[in-house]
Amino acid sequence: MSERFSRATGTSLVGGAEAHTSRSLTGMLGAVAGMAALLALFPLWLGGSRVLMGVAILGLAYASYAIGFNLIFGSTGQLFLCVGALAGVGGYAATILSDRAGLPILVSILVATLLAALTGGLLSWIAVRRSLGVIFTGIVTLIFALSFENLLLGLSGVTGGDSGLQIRAGSGTILRGQIPPYYLMLGLVVVFLIVHGLLRRSHVGWAFRALRDDEVAAELAGINVARYRVYGALVGAAMLGMAGATYAFTAGRVSPTSFGFAQVDVVVIVMLAFGGIGTLLGPILGAVVFTAIDEVLIEFGQLRLLAYGILIIVLFLWIRRGMIPTLRDLLRRQTTNRDTTAAHTPSRGPG
Amino acid sequence: MTASILDGIVLGLQFGVLATGLTLVYGLGGVLNLAYGQMAVISAMVVLLAMDADIPLLPAVGLGLLAGGLLGLLLDVTILRPVYRLQGEARVLLSLLLSLGVAFIVDGFLNWRFPLRGLTLRVGGEAVEILGVRMRMGSLVASGITLLVLAVLFYVFRYTLLGRAIRSVIENEEGARLVGIDPHHMLRIILVVSGVLAAIVAMTRSMVTPVNVRAGFSITVLALIVTVVGGLGSISGAFLAGLVLGIINSIASTYIGTFLSLIILLVAAALTILIRPAGLLGVRE
Repeated sequence: MSERFSRATGTSLVGGAEAHTSRSLTGMLGAVAGMAALLALFPLWLGGSRVLMGVAILGLAYASYAIGFNLIFGSTGQLFLCVGALAGVGGYAATILSDRAGLPILVSILVATLLAALTGGLLSWIAVRRSLGVIFTGIVTLIFALSFENLLLGLSGVTGGDSGLQIRAGSGTILRGQIPPYYLMLGLVVVFLIVHGLLRRSHVGWAFRALRDDEVAAELAGINVARYRVYGALVGAAMLGMAGATYAFTAGRVSPTSFGFAQVDVVVIVMLAFGGIGTLLGPILGAVVFTAIDEVLIEFGQLRLLAYGILIIVLFLWIRRGMIPTLRDLLRRQTTNRDTTAAHTPSRGPG
Repeated sequence: MTASILDGIVLGLQFGVLATGLTLVYGLGGVLNLAYGQMAVISAMVVLLAMDADIPLLPAVGLGLLAGGLLGLLLDVTILRPVYRLQGEARVLLSLLLSLGVAFIVDGFLNWRFPLRGLTLRVGGEAVEILGVRMRMGSLVASGITLLVLAVLFYVFRYTLLGRAIRSVIENEEGARLVGIDPHHMLRIILVVSGVLAAIVAMTRSMVTPVNVRAGFSITVLALIVTVVGGLGSISGAFLAGLVLGIINSIASTYIGTFLSLIILLVAAALTILIRPAGLLGVRE
């Protein structure tokens, strides 16, 4: 039975999608720029409503979490079920550093990012050293996430317990404005996407793909699987920490629920699965769609949870590879149908 | 101290039954059921509704156990179908995600329809003094039932044909298939058993503390921790780990505090994975 865990081979939920990433650099940058331009127009449409802008800013925070998780899980095959906890390390560390230790906001965000990166790197290093498979990595990181949540509740002297902490630093500045934080978070999203896009195009990206598709083959081909896994986790966790810290300053408070497993991890997994695990822009598509859905469902209270459950099941049963690969396939099929006669039919493996 | 240890044993026995339901399904079918705690909560709600409808206690509890078993069967014939088509890690991962979806559906529905409800089974009778500690009757009855379940499980698994068939599938699925055992059939039986076990835990737990509508996720997490420590697929491991963790939890929550006692359990599970990934009594191939 330990066969099941000792080797982290590629899982059927991931992969397949990345066969088509041999896009040019300008193509990648163009796609990111186009997406950014579309999202940048959003405040023109709904900028007047403080509530809706708050929702949109949170949506961008989720998009950044999804990019970080995508880098860790989609690119290096490590199931990190502590997305919220790593963002929370960033958020709480930044809050405490700026309010208690009096550090400037920028410095506290950077230190918090470093802290989250080191935490993620440590978790990954442990998983790699003990050669835990996908499932045991998931359980260990879930245990970390739950411990973190409990520590937040238990150490109420430092963390404010259940009600969390109000952040004094940055209040009254544009960080708490109605529209500027949106562009701040959007900037973060764009930077993360470009970092992820460039990583995928570099030799690191090749190593990621190789180790995710077949770990043993990658090792035999001379790729230091352990090292690249830890690199992936370091960068991904840094993104999570930075997004958590930055979002905390724009929201003006941190609380256990803003970084909880049910509130962050589950949502991020659904977003990413919807957009397409392992695709570059999947996290953005998922975040936009689910932020909108969430806003519609919010008045249904507990039924929102029910809807999420149904969505999870539908997603993983029928569109397992996510929307972006599915749509791309549809498009490709249509164009090939138009362009070619029966001479050349695209052969595609199962997702 | 004695009181904490005795409380820990009461708790630990329940941990054991709880983990057994999860660990068998995992060991047998490579299915990690994250809706396990929700199965327990649904059974508790069935009992609660039955008692609201003036059905006497014992038939109501019977209905609850039946509901647990049916839920297991329902999972087997619905969302687990596509899971069975996969193998290895992909199977575990898909089962985990789909059952998480089920857990959310159940939680969403129950919290919407029956918010703030909780099941408490009152067991009458005087408190009894054991080793100089006054134990409530509810705790004793709960432990008695748990021990009975344990005995039945051990008997079935050691001495009956069904039990041997199930163990053979856990040990070697291919070999079992070769001697004419249908693993899918065994898995269906085990899912029903797992649902009944979840229901039993809900009943015995409600004799000690109320089982409320939101308890699903924390029950699943406890089951997962005990399962990991005990070793996946091992009943005796589940019970040993249940007892050890139950006593640790009880002592820790008396002397250190509730929040940190859960963290101690979590750390115990993490250390087990890191030091002995197969668990206390799990077999490492």
